[in-house]
Amino acid sequence: MIPTGLQLSSSATERLFDLLTKGVLGTLLLFALFPIYWMVISSFRTRTEITAADPQLLPFELAEIPAIVQDPVLLAEILHYENYVTMWGRFPVLDYFINSLIIASTTTVFALIVGCLGGYAFSKYRFPGKGAVGGALLGTQMIPGILILIPMFLLFVWIQDTFAIPLVDTYHGIIFVYTTFTIPVAIWMLRGFFDTIPDSVEEAARVDGCSRIQALVRVVLPMAAPGIAATGMFVFLVAFNEVLFASILASGDVTPFAIGIQSFETQTTAYWGEMMAASTVATAPVLLLFVLFQKPIVEGLTEGSVKQ
Amino acid sequence: MVRTTRQFRSRLADLHLGSYLPLYNRLTEQQRFAYKLLAPGLAMMFLIHFIPIIWGTLISFLGVDSSYIYRWHAAPFVALENYQYVLDPRTVVGGRFWFSVRQTVIFAVGTLVVTYVLGLTAALVLNQKFKGRFVARTLLLLPWVAPVVVTLLIWRMMFQQQSGIINNILMSIGVINEPIYWLIGDNAIWTLVLTHSWTQFPLVMIMLYAGLQSIPEQLYEAAAIDGAGRWEKFRHITFPQLKPVSAVVVLLVMLWTMINFTAPYVLLGAQPPRAGQVSILYIYDFAFSNFQFGRGAAMSVVLFAIAMTMALAYYKYLFDEDFTEGDQ
Repeated sequence: MIPTGLQLSSSATERLFDLLTKGVLGTLLLFALFPIYWMVISSFRTRTEITAADPQLLPFELAEIPAIVQDPVLLAEILHYENYVTMWGRFPVLDYFINSLIIASTTTVFALIVGCLGGYAFSKYRFPGKGAVGGALLGTQMIPGILILIPMFLLFVWIQDTFAIPLVDTYHGIIFVYTTFTIPVAIWMLRGFFDTIPDSVEEAARVDGCSRIQALVRVVLPMAAPGIAATGMFVFLVAFNEVLFASILASGDVTPFAIGIQSFETQTTAYWGEMMAASTVATAPVLLLFVLFQKPIVEGLTEGSVKQ
Repeated sequence: MVRTTRQFRSRLADLHLGSYLPLYNRLTEQQRFAYKLLAPGLAMMFLIHFIPIIWGTLISFLGVDSSYIYRWHAAPFVALENYQYVLDPRTVVGGRFWFSVRQTVIFAVGTLVVTYVLGLTAALVLNQKFKGRFVARTLLLLPWVAPVVVTLLIWRMMFQQQSGIINNILMSIGVINEPIYWLIGDNAIWTLVLTHSWTQFPLVMIMLYAGLQSIPEQLYEAAAIDGAGRWEKFRHITFPQLKPVSAVVVLLVMLWTMINFTAPYVLLGAQPPRAGQVSILYIYDFAFSNFQFGRGAAMSVVLFAIAMTMALAYYKYLFDEDFTEGDQ
């Protein structure tokens, strides 16, 4: 075909469109990744560099790049590691991390146990009230947390005062609350994963003499392992990031990372470098796990949210 | 041990508990098993969701303040006084509450618009076939996977007036002449919208992407035969086919943003500028720094009612839509 006048040939439009797509993708990637880059780069900067009026996009001069490519060891001189050393001393970051690990991983274990049972019931059985129970589970996602927090705080304080059972600022108090909050999501996600396991597998196990619960534990659960891992990671992240209930029900010795890290910024000074170093330490394993488990995580999410 | 268990069982059987539970009796063995599996979850939901919501509604009718923290049950019944107090736009508290509702709506609608545009663009791009598509999808999901408290703090640092990179970039490309305040003053609400959208757009993207993947290829082939270009295909096939997924996205993003506490609290602080004081943050501050639990509960009930009304109205709209479409 001979291009006439201003009309572009089909292959030229094709190329233009391709270029446009790549431009849009590049812009989106820049927007998505820049803050993460900024966190990592800031964690390797000194206080003066961070508070300077004109923050530099790169930690080194453009002219220095050839030298660095030739000898990457030079980076060690340009980047500053102090933040990673001083952050542990300035604030009890290690305690915050340990508290978060205790709270989030215990929550994950409990939520997975309860969620597997519930998700399995939802996936494999028909029972009266199924729609209502499912609706109630989804409905909990629409409740503003503050509506639950006020009465719960008063109840916790009252139980503590009357029965001498400590609940505010304890591990078990906040773990109990988080477990409950994550159960609906866990049930919903796991249900989607159990749906993908054919009923015949379980029937075969039953024929071989397994009880219902044995069939679930020995046959179905191992097959759903990737889905369970994905759900577990999701629950862990929710528990790790929660701040509303934690700010009231978990302070003192049980302060989690999500609350504790905010103390790096005080009324008078902000320790951004240390804060970004601690943030990098908290983010790296999460991103790594996501890259490893992303297929089931993405599937579980889209199943749970799109398929209603 | 075995014997006592057996004795206990037979005694339990003597009680004929089943006869008190005619509904349970009517279930088949399979259905009972399903309910047994669900029992722990339901019990916990009952304790932590159902009871507190009922309780919270009750508290909103009681005068619970600092002197009644340890004995809320002794607090006086004040009927609708709390509601009158917090809903009267002429009082300071009422005025601020309604202002916070307005800011919440801006927060929710703004986030919806930004995440939808970004999410749809990203989903459309990912739906093209190109090398490294999987890698691009993974990278675009990172803002949503990274711990949200961390990412909010990164944005807080980037939005600093003096040393923040955002003012620096805007000034160097000539958009603004002098550093502006992002985290205090009237800009706070837009800062909040942008930051929250950054953390949420990957979720919208992946939902719309799933929707795009489920559009049958034949539709596009038929359109191509009719000579439809890219834009016609998008307008007449892609967009209408995405409608059901979009509906879910709109509902979820609006509601989840309305009740979101983390983003305003971490980005703007517990005592944010007035413009950034969305309802849930205002209620939190009001209830826990003044120990005004009765009135805080009244405001929470109102917020819950607004959210539920919107959800129901939207569901009804969706249902009607489906209905008329089915009619044609």
